[in-house]
Amino acid sequence: MYLPQPISKLIEGFMRLPGIGPKTAQRLAFFVLTMKEDDVLDLAKALVRAKRDLSTCSVCGNITDQDPCHICSDKSRDQSVICVVQDTRDVIAMERTREYRGLYHVLHGAISPMEGIGPEELQIPELLKRVSNEEVQELILATNPNVEGEATAIYLSKLVKPFSLKVTRIAHGLPVGGDLEYADEVTLSKALEGRREL
Amino acid sequence: MNRLRIQSLQVKEYRNIQSAQLDFSSDLQLFIGLNAQGKTNLLESIFLLALGKSHRTRSHRDLIQFGKPFAVVAATIQKPHTTDHVRIVLSEKGKRIEKNGVEQPRLSQYVGTLPAVLFSPEDLELVKGSPRVRRRFLDMEIGQVSPTYIYQLNQYQQLIQQRNRLLKDPVPSESILEVLDQQLVQFSIPIWKRRLLFLNSLKVWAKETYQMIADEKETLEVYYQPSTTQLSQHESAEWEDMLSQEIRQIRTKELRRRTTLIGPHRDDLRLEVAGVDVGAFGSQGQQRTAALALKLAELELIREEIGYYPILLLDDVLSELDDSRRSHLLKKIQGRVQTFVTATSLEGLDAQTVSRAAIYQVAQGKITKQR
Repeated sequence: MYLPQPISKLIEGFMRLPGIGPKTAQRLAFFVLTMKEDDVLDLAKALVRAKRDLSTCSVCGNITDQDPCHICSDKSRDQSVICVVQDTRDVIAMERTREYRGLYHVLHGAISPMEGIGPEELQIPELLKRVSNEEVQELILATNPNVEGEATAIYLSKLVKPFSLKVTRIAHGLPVGGDLEYADEVTLSKALEGRREL
Repeated sequence: MNRLRIQSLQVKEYRNIQSAQLDFSSDLQLFIGLNAQGKTNLLESIFLLALGKSHRTRSHRDLIQFGKPFAVVAATIQKPHTTDHVRIVLSEKGKRIEKNGVEQPRLSQYVGTLPAVLFSPEDLELVKGSPRVRRRFLDMEIGQVSPTYIYQLNQYQQLIQQRNRLLKDPVPSESILEVLDQQLVQFSIPIWKRRLLFLNSLKVWAKETYQMIADEKETLEVYYQPSTTQLSQHESAEWEDMLSQEIRQIRTKELRRRTTLIGPHRDDLRLEVAGVDVGAFGSQGQQRTAALALKLAELELIREEIGYYPILLLDDVLSELDDSRRSHLLKKIQGRVQTFVTATSLEGLDAQTVSRAAIYQVAQGKITKQR
């Protein structure tokens, strides 16, 4: 099928995005043709600006449009707690709780010899600098509850031992609001393991 | 009646079996025929209903008769409180499992509908084969009753892959290795605990079964043989320290061999008859009896778990046992377990047993009831 080059270029562009196949790409491309020119310009600018104006925060490693980022420069936040996460998306998830008022540190991965990721590939020297300089008292290790995430948590807890910090690991267990009967066996036994006295 | 039994079985265009409709009223069914006539195919079809997969092939297409679009295996299963109708249809597209007319999309939910234990000549590997075979036996059996164990095992295997990869680095990072050591200890202990718990029941039943078949002339002992020092020498609370210490001691060797040499993935079962390793030094008869005892112990373990005996499939096993062992075996299961047995002839079978059995002749894929 012949398509004018501008539209076939656009379809190809959409297809590079994750989760978008040829049919969706075509649908999106033809939809763009029906949009108002101003809206198309806004979209194009937003794409370019997201790429150009965003960088990683030199303090915590989160993505940001200013350096240090909004969270790091917010003096109303509790400067004594740092929550260590694997990914920027984990920061967003934590922020959605609206419960946590401390700071973050984004590692951009977890220790995995199979993928060639060691401590040098993660933002660990930056983290060490923070825990030694600032008035940090607690480090919350919120890496994923899998083999690599646990390994990273153990590694970090050993590393920061000299700093006499309180080091905690987030709990894992039952989803809130879910019924016990629907929980899978593994989650349930993890929750049982981590039970607390009332 | 506190029993499980297959009341009837239908097999259609399955391997070399064109069509069979069998009603089972006896406890013991003997399928008699020459080699390559379809006896094992019939047992395989029952095993398929039990586990949702064949023990002989991964490809379900092999199970469909050559040139035919479908194969069907179905059965009516009578259990203590219910009767279930199960049906498996195999086609080019795949396999469809139905229970009481309802499709079962998840195999894990279906398995358990027809509990079964199969013993075939390949199971001799349990005794003669490598430690891997015995570990798989342990892991499969425990996994059937404990999804948590499967999870722990998967985590453990993931860790071993990571650790082996690290050990292959030109200069493995000591600090990362220490972290993975700690995880190795942490992950090993629940696996050991679960395996030993299982083994405590298994060894009792295996010993009893062995004695019964061998007529108490000798006994079978099953021991857990860890890649570390004997676990039984320590309280389980000390395992952590013991393993950490042994990991440190083996460090130089691990760095040289570039792989993880210690932990549940290197453990084994030791099977002893009359005090010696039966895999290495036992006679053929002792080895067969030991393998059979391990599998028959499963009958008891499953009964402990679900409250009644599973069905038993014995493929070509009788011919490998001497007269006395054979009749002891048949006596053990008599009246308790619905059993399906294949043999090339009735010769050498105890007359009393034969008189109680339903006998089927199997020839060129045709199954005919003799009595």
